[in-house]
Amino acid sequence: MTQTITIDPVTRLEGHGKITIQLDSQGQVEDAHFHVTQVRGFERFSQGRPYYEMPSLMARICGICPVSHLIASAKACEAIMSVRIPHTAAQLRRMLNLAQMVQSHALSFFYLASPDLLLGMESDPVARNIFGVVAAKPQLGRAGIALRRFGQHIIELLGKKRIHPGWVVPGGVTEPLEPAKRDEILAMIPEAYANIGLALAAYKQIADSFKPEIEVFANFPSNYLSLINEDESIEFTDGALRLIGPQGGVIEDGINAARYTEVIGEAVENYSFTKFAYYKPLGYPSGSYRVGPLARLNIVESMGTPLADQELVQFKQLAKGPVESSFHYHHARLIEVLHGIEKIEQILTDPLILDKHVRAIAGVNRLEGAGQAEAPRGTLNHHYKVDENGLITWANLVIATGQNNNAMNKGVLQAAKEYVNDGKFTPGALNRVEAVIRTFDPCLSCSTHAFGQMPLVLTLLSPDGEIVDQVIR
Amino acid sequence: MTQTTIRCLILACGNTLRGDDGVGPWLAEWAEEKYRGDPTVRVISRQQWTPDLAEDIAGAESVLFIDCSIESAPGYVSLISIEPSVQTQGLATHHQGAPELLALARDLYDSLPVKTALLSIGAGSTELGEQFSEPVLDAIPHACGLLESTIFEWTR
Repeated sequence: MTQTITIDPVTRLEGHGKITIQLDSQGQVEDAHFHVTQVRGFERFSQGRPYYEMPSLMARICGICPVSHLIASAKACEAIMSVRIPHTAAQLRRMLNLAQMVQSHALSFFYLASPDLLLGMESDPVARNIFGVVAAKPQLGRAGIALRRFGQHIIELLGKKRIHPGWVVPGGVTEPLEPAKRDEILAMIPEAYANIGLALAAYKQIADSFKPEIEVFANFPSNYLSLINEDESIEFTDGALRLIGPQGGVIEDGINAARYTEVIGEAVENYSFTKFAYYKPLGYPSGSYRVGPLARLNIVESMGTPLADQELVQFKQLAKGPVESSFHYHHARLIEVLHGIEKIEQILTDPLILDKHVRAIAGVNRLEGAGQAEAPRGTLNHHYKVDENGLITWANLVIATGQNNNAMNKGVLQAAKEYVNDGKFTPGALNRVEAVIRTFDPCLSCSTHAFGQMPLVLTLLSPDGEIVDQVIR
Repeated sequence: MTQTTIRCLILACGNTLRGDDGVGPWLAEWAEEKYRGDPTVRVISRQQWTPDLAEDIAGAESVLFIDCSIESAPGYVSLISIEPSVQTQGLATHHQGAPELLALARDLYDSLPVKTALLSIGAGSTELGEQFSEPVLDAIPHACGLLESTIFEWTR
């Protein structure tokens, strides 16, 4: 018999998603899948467009992290142009990417995750949202909104638009930074420090009460991939990729964008439009890995900024090797926000930051190019081929959510086995299974392309495929 | 640094790529031009209204929200007063309505504008495209007039 339960408010994910949980004949969880049900199509319809249009086109994939797409795309174009962008342009882009990371992480932590964390997994779903957080913890609510605004305002000041700024172009950026804007950003920094300090303190206070969730929220050994600088510090815009194994040992280092497709493959499963990235030498699924804040903090030796470095020391004490539970993505996210604020402040004091030379000009010098950057959710790779006129003949994007896909699916299965018993969702089970996905902060719009509402459907299937229970969020 | 008091905040919403949904941003652009020399009138135009706008709302003496309406007849222009309210059913993370934003301003910043209203224009079509439907095109002069008279009354 089919039973449908409808629960509002709508889900707290970026995009459309569906979870199915398969039961065995004893009514116990046998398998679970996280489905992404939309098609993106950007690789296809960009064919025939001039390469220099690609950053603006590709940024339209997402309203949350368009900056990462702008940057990865521009870098792919610069590989085609064979240019190295001016120092000031690189620094300005780095600041833009950090500002986006801050606003996106603030959205993920305060708007999407904090209702679970601050109000409780079992709390009234009607109030389990940003309004509930504001009512229960107004100071934290204000801090979250202010941090998001901080990041978005920097994006607006630099790129003239909060979403889809056109400022990043192949070769650099279109305009230098004006002194008044630098001063305006610097003036916002103290409040941003206060707000992230508040959030970190609040998180540390409550984290211990989630030990049962930490145990089963995608808590298993895996590989991790992220950009890293030569000095072993965290990097979001340049650097090269490093892959580490479950014990923390380096599997491969110095993977630049040009070598990406040599080492990273994409598998396809019939239940999702999002592909499953893996490290080719280990094969699929053994070569699957995690990306994003947890991966970055597991990989780096330092944050490269003093306050975030202090926090990194504490974070690394959570485990002897890599920190495995995806629940800790939340903690990692907050540390990255702190780093972002510090780094933006550092960049603004660069003596060359107001330099007027911010763009390198060139035409097509190679017929293929790739670029990579760290999006808030993890590594992002854009890879293009062009004809001699610079028109795109082929494009491929490997998005963070696709790289976390295998871990998300395993995490859903792990949580479902814990929280779904005797063929029924236990109270709070739905929210906890969803919350596993939220820890990754997936962007389903990026990994495919979403349009319209953002429902999440959770379906429980009997051994013969009959729908036993279904919840639509 | 002296902070100018915002006597009226015009807060428009809409997607310029979705036909009549772009009428809010169009009116915002018109207002931006109209009140360019008046620092007490501030115009913000967004694709969606997000919670961070609560601080701007809390700091303004009056707020005129502008949006298209898919419930009104195409081209129907209305001006209604708005009260703070938390509408939890169907609440979205990326978008709040005018009553929810007022409630956020009240709850977070303990401040509410003295006067608030929603100017809405009934949409004829929100299909992909940058053109307005005939009824909305015909309604724009009336909407501009209503916007202007409201701001005049609120700021005199």
